[in-house]
Amino acid sequence: MPSVRPASAGRTDIAAVPPVALMGPGQAAPRRRRRGHDHLAPYALLAPALLVIVMFRLWPLILGVNFSFTGDGDRNGTPVGLSNYTELFDDPVFRTALRNVGLLVLLLPVAVAIPGLLATFIFLRVPGHRVFRNVYFFPAVLSPVIIGAIFNLLLAADGPLNAGLQRIGLGSVDWLGEPKLAIFTVVAVHIWATFGMALVVFLAGFATLDTTLLDAARADGASTAQVIWHVIIPGLSRTIQFVFVTTMIGMLTSMFGLLFVMTAGGPGGSTYLPEYYIWIQQGQMNRPALASAASTVLFLVMLVVGLAQIGLLRRGRRED
Amino acid sequence: MKQRILGPVIALVVILASTACGSAKSPGNSNGGAESGKLVVWDWKSSDKNAQNFVAKAKSDFAKKHPNVTLEFVAQPFENYYTLLGAAIQAGKGPDVMLFNGGGQIRDRTNALLPLDQYVTQDKDRLAGWDAFSKDGKIYAAPITLQGHPIYYNKSIYTKAGLDPDKPPATWDALLSSCTTIKNATKLPCFSLGNKEGYGIQFWMSGMGSGILSPAEYDNWIAGKRDWNSANVKKIFATWKQAGDAGLNTSGANSTAMFMDQYTKFEGGKAANVIGLMSDVGGWHEMNPIIGADNLGVMLSPVITPGAVPSLAFDGGVGYGVAKWTKDPALAADLVRSLTSTDALTAYATDAGAIASDKTVTIAGGGSAAAAIAAAIPAGKPALHVALSAKTQDVMGRVSQQLLSGSITVDEAVKQLATADQAG
Repeated sequence: MPSVRPASAGRTDIAAVPPVALMGPGQAAPRRRRRGHDHLAPYALLAPALLVIVMFRLWPLILGVNFSFTGDGDRNGTPVGLSNYTELFDDPVFRTALRNVGLLVLLLPVAVAIPGLLATFIFLRVPGHRVFRNVYFFPAVLSPVIIGAIFNLLLAADGPLNAGLQRIGLGSVDWLGEPKLAIFTVVAVHIWATFGMALVVFLAGFATLDTTLLDAARADGASTAQVIWHVIIPGLSRTIQFVFVTTMIGMLTSMFGLLFVMTAGGPGGSTYLPEYYIWIQQGQMNRPALASAASTVLFLVMLVVGLAQIGLLRRGRRED
Repeated sequence: MKQRILGPVIALVVILASTACGSAKSPGNSNGGAESGKLVVWDWKSSDKNAQNFVAKAKSDFAKKHPNVTLEFVAQPFENYYTLLGAAIQAGKGPDVMLFNGGGQIRDRTNALLPLDQYVTQDKDRLAGWDAFSKDGKIYAAPITLQGHPIYYNKSIYTKAGLDPDKPPATWDALLSSCTTIKNATKLPCFSLGNKEGYGIQFWMSGMGSGILSPAEYDNWIAGKRDWNSANVKKIFATWKQAGDAGLNTSGANSTAMFMDQYTKFEGGKAANVIGLMSDVGGWHEMNPIIGADNLGVMLSPVITPGAVPSLAFDGGVGYGVAKWTKDPALAADLVRSLTSTDALTAYATDAGAIASDKTVTIAGGGSAAAAIAAAIPAGKPALHVALSAKTQDVMGRVSQQLLSGSITVDEAVKQLATADQAG
């Protein structure tokens, strides 16, 4: 590094900088050594973005984590060590919320398989595939609150679905009132509401599929099931990975609206998710510090899931 | 290279750290806004059409005393009210005067409120319902309404079933048998119930509690001496479960919202009884025009435990309190007094159909139901569930759902509640 810095850097030099900044500091080093006078420019250009991230993301995050080690109510502001965290993990409702996160991860393959399968049928041009393509996407433009309200009516104990079930001789089911059933009902509605987006991604993936392989498989006499299993799924592996990642994020972060409208966390706390728990503790129970602790735990969970997803995507790319 | 990046980043963090330190935390940062001759009021009612007269009367009363002070009413959505208020309290700045529900919601937040005892001495006798806004002998808000839990019944359903509509069931056995009679004659369930949010059990506890607990147990409960293991306390939850198991409730109670599905079902003639409210929504004011003022009856709890003396459960409903951080406490307290003036409360009671906290305000045109409630107020007692902390109420909501779905026993439910009550 030169020890003496030139007094001024001309405008033309700065204009040449962006590609350097984009290449990252490691790669930029040789060129920079050659033309050392503009070495401050990358930082100047990065500063606004960095400032925004640090000020509005990292700093509040640190404050939040710090806050989770303080008390609530009379002990507001006093350090309490890990007591919020012990209380959190002693609370059966929070444990249920974490268990439900696990359940969502387990249900992920279903949430991916449904749009995948339907997209395959559209791709294989089943009769009416144009209509289905539009209809399937339609729920994706509705807000969760509207969807929740619609399904509240449909799934009510004395609602139309149960009336239909009773008419054909099956008993009625309280879809949202049975503790063991309610979470599955909400997840099913969430999948119904959001699979349109994944379907579009799948259809885009199909556009890149090599049709000669399909024709070859058909010429060899492969059945539809065999075509799907041996040609379509391997050909779409990267699309499937992408849908896995986005569906997971959707499930973990955007169920609040549905839960709020459909079950309010009930019955018996069986449909709690961490974000709903945080909202209840902060708003209804007046326990902001406990809510911060729950937020920190949720953040860590999301961090693990996020890192796993990044790893998955990287591996997929390497295989390519 | 590393050092080059690290240097600016460290500098940035240090700068941010030093500037941000003073801004967050530190409750008690007083920044009310009164210095500019302005008071800010937060509530969830002032934008309602039927509260306009009330706000106008309160404003004009206040303007007589303080003509130079401007008032700003900010109506927040109720669903987010306490979330927003929590953020304001955390920051130590926000409205000068704010509306609260009585009971747990205000008691959990008294550290952000100013004791009003010295300002409201003249109003103490005129207004009722102070207990719900007091903690440790100090008053933190002045009530504007009374809220309670009368049991409403649809007289025409009773008549249709061949029962005397003027003699509602007076014992638990009579209640059960009248429910059977109604079911057989009209195919209708006895109670309209929505317990999706877990409020149903609160209404059951306060609606039926005076018929279950002995008078001494009742008073002890309110005073904070609650024996969760007593047979009568367990009976509150046992009867709740029994009513659910026996099919006395409308179907799908755990997935039905109390507001407003529980009440629309009752008003639509789909159930014979409902435990309701006596002010605002879910009460006589809303039911009278639909069911008919002559058809709406009010009863007290049947005698479920021999020796119990059924009474109307009521408390202060909502009331205005003053934030600790307000610039001029006397000025803000004066606004609270204007908001609870007889003129303002008369307007609110008439327009919104509330039972006003002001004893001198009479209910005009409320029909027989409102008259029955007014008659029961002198002998009424504070509601049982209002004495519980927000946390205990939350746990109670959950165990009540589990009791209805059969995934928990009464003993287990009471044990969880005892733990929550002792912690809170």
